[in-house]
Amino acid sequence: MGLLLSRLYSVFESFSSETPARILMLGLDAAGKTSILYKVKLNENVHTIPTIGFNVETVEPVKGVSFTVWDVGGQDKIRPLWRFYYQNTEGLIYVVDSSDRERIAESREELFGILDSDEMREVPVVVIANKQDLPNALKPSEVADLMTLRKLTSRKWFIQAACATTGEGIFEAMSEMANMVKEYQAKSH
Amino acid sequence: METNTNTFDLSDLTLEEQQLLESIRERKQKLIKEIQELKDEIAEVSNEMETIEVSDESKNNPKNKQMSIGKKKFNMDPKKGIEYLIDHQLLVNDQEEVAKFLYQGEGLNKTAIGDYLGERNDFNIAVLKSFVNLHEFSDMILVQALRQFLWSFRLPGEAQKIDRMMECFAERYCELNPGVFTSTDTCYVLSFAIIMLNTSLHNPSVKDKPTVERFISMNRGINDGGDLPPELLTSLYDSIKKEPFKIPEDDGNDLMHTFFNPDKEGWLCKQGAKKLSGRIKNWKRRWFILNDNCLYYFQFTTDKEPKGIIPLENISIREVPVDKSNKPFSFELFATGQDIIKACKVDKEGKVVEGKHNVYRMSASTAEEKEEWIRCIKQSISENPFYDMLAARRKKAAHVK
Repeated sequence: MGLLLSRLYSVFESFSSETPARILMLGLDAAGKTSILYKVKLNENVHTIPTIGFNVETVEPVKGVSFTVWDVGGQDKIRPLWRFYYQNTEGLIYVVDSSDRERIAESREELFGILDSDEMREVPVVVIANKQDLPNALKPSEVADLMTLRKLTSRKWFIQAACATTGEGIFEAMSEMANMVKEYQAKSH
Repeated sequence: METNTNTFDLSDLTLEEQQLLESIRERKQKLIKEIQELKDEIAEVSNEMETIEVSDESKNNPKNKQMSIGKKKFNMDPKKGIEYLIDHQLLVNDQEEVAKFLYQGEGLNKTAIGDYLGERNDFNIAVLKSFVNLHEFSDMILVQALRQFLWSFRLPGEAQKIDRMMECFAERYCELNPGVFTSTDTCYVLSFAIIMLNTSLHNPSVKDKPTVERFISMNRGINDGGDLPPELLTSLYDSIKKEPFKIPEDDGNDLMHTFFNPDKEGWLCKQGAKKLSGRIKNWKRRWFILNDNCLYYFQFTTDKEPKGIIPLENISIREVPVDKSNKPFSFELFATGQDIIKACKVDKEGKVVEGKHNVYRMSASTAEEKEEWIRCIKQSISENPFYDMLAARRKKAAHVK
């Protein structure tokens, strides 16, 4: 146990002093991105007037690990702009509404559309199978199948069941992301 | 052992007991009479109250009242607010009409307007289009038009919503300013890029601030495969860097109007309600606003919702001598009719609960401040005889029992 913990800390130690890792958060409308983002938000400072623009938060899901998470997305036409942001991305959090069976194919297309770009090559992905509290929600394994995640061979991926409203599974997803980012950084530097 | 409980012989009782019984009977009669009187009085008062309410309603046009209810509902839940207004025939169920209502925006919260316009269903998207078309962007440079557009509602933070909004905006801009961009798409992608720039430059969460060179290279190829003039992109960059997008300060929150021009406002320390355990009551610094015969207190000056409200009805104010309080310059509100002051506060979970104070003790920072607060509060205190009467009755009833 002690060994595992110290290993865990050494994993996180190296990025604590550096600038936050750049993480993108994607997913279709209403998948639950905003809820997840504000569940793990770092400063609960509600008194500053929020900047007009995209939801961006610096979060510290695990002690000593901070992410800057951007809520990104939109139609194909603006993808070149995001591609510019992909450049230094070290991780992707992809949120799926597990209860929306009708749009799961659309969600898959979106995910593969993003991962296809050069800038995202080898960037690790954590897929959050959100809204598990809803009665007709697909199980994480079903989401993985329908999203054809097994096709992702050139990168690390992980699927996590979650419920953003209660926060269940969010911490697990984030700490898995932290592990993967660390590994990714070690490999690319 | 068997006894008959229904009848007993009076002569079994002593003279003393008989007298006592007599007096009990007398008291019972009196009580019955009194209860009847109270019932009559309550009936009379509730009759009176009904007529007061009716005349109130006819005085302030019920339509106006419903309109203000609808707006309040809208600010809490935009969809429900619009439904309410349509159900009460205050708004026509039509995209143009709803758009006009949002565009005028009187008393509407800018965030709520943005939430409504950002919803991804056909009707809301149609309203968004009509809403954008109510804006006049002729002969404006892009960033100026965008500033004006983003002034009319709070842009939601979700990428897809921003996407739809910028697409609508670009269509309108290009329609009114033909020839400025080679295609609507160029204008749309550039507008989206400007929002990204505003986020990058001004959101404190974004640590690596982009340079103008990065902004230029980000926009490479967005002009139908070609590049936009670097001077245009540089001037956009400078404009956003110098001045972030803004929305009006007053976001139409109803309470904001209440607090806009108060009789008095300032910091005071407020002592907590007496704990059951009897332990020492702690002092908390609160921002107080006195207006409309009510005293409101907030945790921060910028808070829009008060932590507590004390109606200044049937209460009095007095100074607290230095030896009675552990803070100087203290004064307190106390109830004249009943024990507990009628007031409400927001508890830790955000629920509105009744206040538990029988005195509200406050402390000012100087003697002058204290005098000034006492003077102002005294002027605001009003008497409502109905509450006193009820309180007195309740007390009496409790006493007789």
